[in-house]
Amino acid sequence: MNSNPVDRISTYQVIMFLANFILGAGILTLPRTLTEKVGTPDAWIGIIMSGLFIILIALLIVRLCKKFPNESFYQFSQKLVGKWLGIIISMVIIIYYICLSAFEVRSMAETTMLYLLQGTPTWAVMMPFLWIGLYLVIGGINSIARMLEIIFPITVLCFLLVIFLGIGIFEIDNLRPVLGMGIKPVIKGLTTTSLSFAGFEIMLVIYMFMKEKKNASKAAIFGIGIPLVFYTITVISVVGSFSVTGVVSQTWPVLTFVRSYEITGLFFERFDSILLVIWIMQIFATFIVSFFAAAIGMAQIFNKKSFHPFLFAIIPIIYLVAMIPEDINGVFKMGDLLGNFSFYTFGALTIFLLFVSFVKEKVNGKM
Amino acid sequence: MKRWRSKFNQEQEQNTPNHTTSSDKNLSGNLTYDLQVIKKEIGHNSDVKFREFQLGETTVQVAVIFIDGLCDIELIQTHIMGGLMLGLTSLATKQQLEDDIERQSERLSKYIKNQSLSVCTLKEVHTIEEIKMGTLFGSICLLVDGLSECFLLGEASTKSRGIDEPDSEALVRGPRVGFVENLCDNTALLRRSGRNQNLSILGFEVGEVSKKELVIAYIQGIAEPQLIEEVKKRIKRIKIDAVPDSGYIEQLIEDNYLSPFPQVQSTERPDRVMSALMEGRVALILDGSPFALIVPVTFQMLLQSPEDYYERWIAATLIRMLRFVASFISLFAPSLYIAFISFHQGLIPTKLVFHIAVTRGGVPFPPLIEALIMEVSIEVLREAGLRLPKPIGQSLGIVGGLIIGEAAVEAGIVSSIMVIVVAVTAISSFTLPQYNVGIALRMLRFISMLFASVFGLYGVVLFSLLLCSHVVKLKSFGVPYLSPSAPFRFADWKDFIIRGPLFLMKRRPKTLQSKNSVREK
Repeated sequence: MNSNPVDRISTYQVIMFLANFILGAGILTLPRTLTEKVGTPDAWIGIIMSGLFIILIALLIVRLCKKFPNESFYQFSQKLVGKWLGIIISMVIIIYYICLSAFEVRSMAETTMLYLLQGTPTWAVMMPFLWIGLYLVIGGINSIARMLEIIFPITVLCFLLVIFLGIGIFEIDNLRPVLGMGIKPVIKGLTTTSLSFAGFEIMLVIYMFMKEKKNASKAAIFGIGIPLVFYTITVISVVGSFSVTGVVSQTWPVLTFVRSYEITGLFFERFDSILLVIWIMQIFATFIVSFFAAAIGMAQIFNKKSFHPFLFAIIPIIYLVAMIPEDINGVFKMGDLLGNFSFYTFGALTIFLLFVSFVKEKVNGKM
Repeated sequence: MKRWRSKFNQEQEQNTPNHTTSSDKNLSGNLTYDLQVIKKEIGHNSDVKFREFQLGETTVQVAVIFIDGLCDIELIQTHIMGGLMLGLTSLATKQQLEDDIERQSERLSKYIKNQSLSVCTLKEVHTIEEIKMGTLFGSICLLVDGLSECFLLGEASTKSRGIDEPDSEALVRGPRVGFVENLCDNTALLRRSGRNQNLSILGFEVGEVSKKELVIAYIQGIAEPQLIEEVKKRIKRIKIDAVPDSGYIEQLIEDNYLSPFPQVQSTERPDRVMSALMEGRVALILDGSPFALIVPVTFQMLLQSPEDYYERWIAATLIRMLRFVASFISLFAPSLYIAFISFHQGLIPTKLVFHIAVTRGGVPFPPLIEALIMEVSIEVLREAGLRLPKPIGQSLGIVGGLIIGEAAVEAGIVSSIMVIVVAVTAISSFTLPQYNVGIALRMLRFISMLFASVFGLYGVVLFSLLLCSHVVKLKSFGVPYLSPSAPFRFADWKDFIIRGPLFLMKRRPKTLQSKNSVREK
């Protein structure tokens, strides 16, 4: 598919893409999964470290993409490692994105059914969500970018508001001693933290749509930096309020955190409804990006100009995959799987492809 | 409507071959013969008058054809007939004229045109069809024996109402001027309020059967040329038989006819049009309609009122924010009520929950039905209030609101909290300065109520996502509807939710990509 000259996104919109895609389902369970692995209250240090590491990998991705300014990953992978290997890699990535979309939808459905709509069947919760996503993505990358521009400030504001209102139950002692057990536990938790940054690789797909490609590195840094700050604040607040033992005993620690403080006298006594509303919108943002990535991938592999038929084809697949996990534990397992896959695969893939591109340049240069 | 129109086009095409024979005829030059043809075509109309006389002291016959009521009788009597009957001899002797007439009728035509008719507007036509159109549209037709051309003089002059403040857009502070039905008066108002030498006004004709003049106004150098071309292209695409009001034009040039949101703004105020033109937008004014259209439209314009700019900035900012909150309330209040009452009782503050449980105890209907009953009643009252004469309309509003609501609560049909919610919603919707936005929000309110009744708070979220998705995809003449929030242009935010102080507003909106971006120049 040739890049349609109309479909161009600005640097700010690329930052939105990255930030929104990364801030997905992971945030609600992040404090727990992290503290479980690390065991000490130093999880927030682990986040900062892995965040910086991920930024590095993202800059490598930008480097790789700069060699192929008008093609997305699906197209230039074929150029670098040959047609068939490239197609196989792209298919794997597409399946990953489909599974990621399914995971997002399913975890959103689970939370909604748990907290908001106890009696509604899963399919009734998921289907309107999927259809609205379809309606938006048909409009192309510009519609998605604009939608993210709207969703992001709302979610950021409300989220920060909700977190900071909990300052009443925050106890700094729960975070101490800092690095009491040394740096080793933090390193142990690095992989888990990196998993929460899954989504940094979307630059591989959207680089070709950028209007000002020279700002790509800046966009990558900000795009990952914003979720980094977010996660740090969240983990600090939640672990600080519950302490390590408290956090690991909660399934959804962030929700419990929001529910545990009460502001009497204001219109809402409990703020978790706001948080859930915001969170559903944020999941929607993540869902549409991964949905778009999958559909565009298929369109580019099959060399079709328009990705609309693939959108319609992928939606039932997403639904079926989303129904695979039987309960919430299955969903978490799926999330872990996807996170692992994303980190290792994309990290390795980028380095591998970059290496191949260097080799090719050398070879071509010599010849 | 589309099918009806194409059928009509087919019929028209079948009909026109019959008319080409007589109407496309040229004037023969022989006055009696021409008059006969014309009388056959339009003489059956009772208001078409014919007056024959002679040219000065010569024997040349002249005829004047006009529509009584549309033409300025003064013009005919003093300038045309007076000029030809009396003034001609003061310019040339009778003998000279007769020589001219016999030898070169071209000189005579020049004579009449340039030296004897003291009339502003003059047009030469040659075919019967043009004479028909000219006369029936208000011009005066002058036929001279021996000349194969006919002169159309003057234009329709109608009586128009005085320039008043429009009722639908009354302001507390601001000029009390509104457009009228006459196109010339409207463009004059625009020129006077603009006083800009770059204000360009281009004329088009719309309507196949019943033609009207449509004018586009823009400021050369500020409006983007691409936008102007797009507007012209869309106007030329209009194929309809008659255009009674600018509402038709709006519907025929808008981008997306399925969207509830207006993509063209209509206004009766020249100051609104003028400030829009200064931002780089284009205005369309139709003859016969006091509503001017402004394109392109972005979402921020719908919640703005010219009053925001005439007041000082702090007050204007607060009032604007109030309008935003009010539009949010008017869209979501009933659906949030339904969602919380039906699904999420635990999320309502405890004291309020007890109260609501008590008041809703006797109500037989589920919250959705209750809400629908009240909302539909309010809509019915509102429509009824529009048709009634003013004094009754006001009191019906109060009667309907208080007494009927009170009675409904007593009867146990609705709960009192529902009445409050509906009343707050209705009042909030009145704060919106534009009528068509109010309608859009009213429609959407019902859909959001349905979503809320099926899915609760999740439904409200879904609905807002759906609405956002729709608005995000909407474009008005190439400008994304949600500028400046998406795509994000920080520079334009000083006029979006807040209204920045005037000295900060030095640049024209970036969303319109105007070449001339600094205002002070």
